[in-house]
Amino acid sequence: MSEFDDAQKALKNLGKQILDSLREGEFPTLELPDRTTGNIVFDKTKGQFVLGDSRITRDSKNIKHIKSFSQLMWVAAFAKKLLSAQRTSSLRDLYYSSEGEGINFSSQSESDRIVADLESLTGMAREDFGIFPEEHSSIYGRVTMEYTVPGYEGREVDLTISPDGLPVGPALMTAEPLETEAELILALESGGMFSRLIETRAWEKFNAVLVQLGGQPPRSTRRLMKRLHETLGLPLYIFTDGDPWGLHIARVIICGSASSAHIRGLTIPEAHWIGVTASDIVNYDLSTESMTDADMKRLDELKRDVRYADSKWQAYIDDFKDLRKKAEQQAFSRHGMDYVVDVYLPDKIA
Amino acid sequence: MPRNPNKVFASISPAEFFYRNRQMAGFGNPTQAVYSTVRELIENSLDSCEDARKRPEITVEIDESPSGVVTITVSDNGEGIPHAHVADSFGRVLYGSKYLSRQRRGTFGLGVTMAVLYGQITTETPVMIYTCTENEEAGRTYELLIDVEKNRPIIVSSNSVNRNKVGTSVRISMKGAVARAYDRVVDYLRLTSISTPHSYIELVRDGEQEFSIHPSCDTLPTPPALAKPHPHAADMELLRRLIKKRAQSSLQEFLQKSFQQVGRVTSSKIVEFLAMDPQREVGDFERSDINRLSTALQNFNGLGCPTIDSLSPIGEKPFMNAVLETYDAVDAGYAQKGPSEWGGHPFIVEGVIAIGGRLRKAKLPALFRFTNRVPLLYDASEDVMTKTLNEVDWSRYGLAKSREVGLFVHFCSTRVPYKAAGKQSVATEEKIESHLALLYKELGRCLRRMTKKKKKRAQRLKEAKGYSRQLSLIAELGAELSEEDEVPPVRSLVEQLFEVDLDV
Repeated sequence: MSEFDDAQKALKNLGKQILDSLREGEFPTLELPDRTTGNIVFDKTKGQFVLGDSRITRDSKNIKHIKSFSQLMWVAAFAKKLLSAQRTSSLRDLYYSSEGEGINFSSQSESDRIVADLESLTGMAREDFGIFPEEHSSIYGRVTMEYTVPGYEGREVDLTISPDGLPVGPALMTAEPLETEAELILALESGGMFSRLIETRAWEKFNAVLVQLGGQPPRSTRRLMKRLHETLGLPLYIFTDGDPWGLHIARVIICGSASSAHIRGLTIPEAHWIGVTASDIVNYDLSTESMTDADMKRLDELKRDVRYADSKWQAYIDDFKDLRKKAEQQAFSRHGMDYVVDVYLPDKIA
Repeated sequence: MPRNPNKVFASISPAEFFYRNRQMAGFGNPTQAVYSTVRELIENSLDSCEDARKRPEITVEIDESPSGVVTITVSDNGEGIPHAHVADSFGRVLYGSKYLSRQRRGTFGLGVTMAVLYGQITTETPVMIYTCTENEEAGRTYELLIDVEKNRPIIVSSNSVNRNKVGTSVRISMKGAVARAYDRVVDYLRLTSISTPHSYIELVRDGEQEFSIHPSCDTLPTPPALAKPHPHAADMELLRRLIKKRAQSSLQEFLQKSFQQVGRVTSSKIVEFLAMDPQREVGDFERSDINRLSTALQNFNGLGCPTIDSLSPIGEKPFMNAVLETYDAVDAGYAQKGPSEWGGHPFIVEGVIAIGGRLRKAKLPALFRFTNRVPLLYDASEDVMTKTLNEVDWSRYGLAKSREVGLFVHFCSTRVPYKAAGKQSVATEEKIESHLALLYKELGRCLRRMTKKKKKRAQRLKEAKGYSRQLSLIAELGAELSEEDEVPPVRSLVEQLFEVDLDV
């Protein structure tokens, strides 16, 4: 598989570049895209965040750079080991593996950042190097996938195999979608709603592949959804809580996050947010809570965010601001256990 | 009832007097005698080489016979002694070429005679001398004894030899204690190599070379110039000698020609102050006139400072290098105070403060004293240099804890106010003391700077080592990534970046 080869090659080139400099008696330097906020711009045609032209040089001659330089090299070597052994690692695992290697990450957020450095240096995603976040979301639906991971090559899996749904891990992420009877993907913010829709066989009713996002979804989940969306042509509907946080989960899936601006192939511009919107709260007469100060502040932030420049999204925000109320996905329960399946979702997905 | 000591002195010869009071001259016991003999002979040798404008090459031989007779031989490549002066130079107390106003190692012309005398009394053997000057075809050897009562040399033998190496070699046999003096002799030679850093010194014991010290400085120092005395130094003895030289001069002429810093204007002022006839011949002066003149000159205000070209400080670079080399010190600082004058004698104090290496750890800097390029090893506690050192609050300069610090202080002057004829400690003179205090404070500030620098350097080395680990790791990981076995070295890059030696 070509991503695998590309990743191997990128790492080898990195090593060669370093050794060449040292053999010339020069201090190795690395040039990578600048990921600081000043260089993150919103590409309107692509509808997502991308990095600008600014690049930074990591110079091993600079005492302040040397640590992150060697950390980056270590992460690269760690990735190489993963690839050669055809293994994967979680970000947390990577962080703990660094102990005793003379690398001294001060926290996992530091090692996570260095992983992002490797991504921007090579222009490849960490998943291509076998590095995954630990949080798992789940998937359930009538899709057949073929594994490519060692030991499972060629084995097929039906995503309805477990009534709890399948966790989206490295194996599923690299699996090839073969076929589907589903007609759409329905992404759900909470595990509760995901379970409800499996139990009530709503997936059958809507012919949907269900994805549990578990809050802001990991990139692997976003990549899998994009893959299903693109290879199988399934439209994506996103169903979240009716508050600024739910709104933003949808927006990130659609047009990306600043922290992933250096990665291509994550955004799904055609995805739909189906609520819960402020007007849904009113129209469906949902149980509500008052917005907190933090909620209101978040709304103000989103209002200024370039990703919300579009009038439709501005309106969503304004409605919440006027209403000053929020509602969870579970709020439909006041109308009975099946209300959301029988009434709300058909309204929204139709 | 003790008799008047002046009467005793008057009734015996100087040689006898000094023999009776030999501890004054540093010959109080067999240990001191060995040390002092080496010292006196080396000082003469170094002075002689200085006069010859030659890089000193000095060999010290110490041989001890089973019967306890110690034979000390010091040979130099100096200018040699004209044959006419040999006997008196070694056999007469207070004879010598050193009654001149310039910086010299020896002062009284007493030390060597004292050594000869000591050898003669303890072993009844004469001093053996070989000497040859540039102007002579062949060298001569002498055997001399001293007639103590008459203060005059007895020439036992004097032979021309078939040798013409320019220089002097002196051999003295005495009852002595080498074992106990030996360490002091070694210390003395090492310290001499600091104060005379352009010299080569070799020590041979019982026929075996113990060590040789090579010069740490390439250039010979500028020789101190002869200077006329400063009027403030005009004591009765000096005036009497100067008058003897110019008995026919008028008072005014005498003043102008005999003293520095005295021209026509100043001499007129002095004469006016004295209310004497400027045309009076000084040869006619009575004792009372000389006394008046002496008092007036010593107290006359408004004279210029004595000239300092009659002094020979060791100098910043030679002094520092010698200390760094001799003690393997890590760092050193230099300061100089003066010129100033005490009692009409110009002086300079200079010092080197050094850290690390073989210096002893202590809460006060280990003090090494020098006067006119001669190291002083005895009687430290009585010395003004020690006294002043103890008055400085060294904790202010970073010596709160015990550390390896050495303080090398050189006092140079046309006259050193020694406390005794043994020339081992400098008396407390107010001006010298105040200049020493200033010197020590400046050296203290040097110490503080060096300490900071050392800490910074240690910090830098630590940084370099940490950095080196990271860069090595980068190299190793780079090799791992590119699948190569050979990891390129990074050491020179690190050393170049940090300007440090990673081996330290």
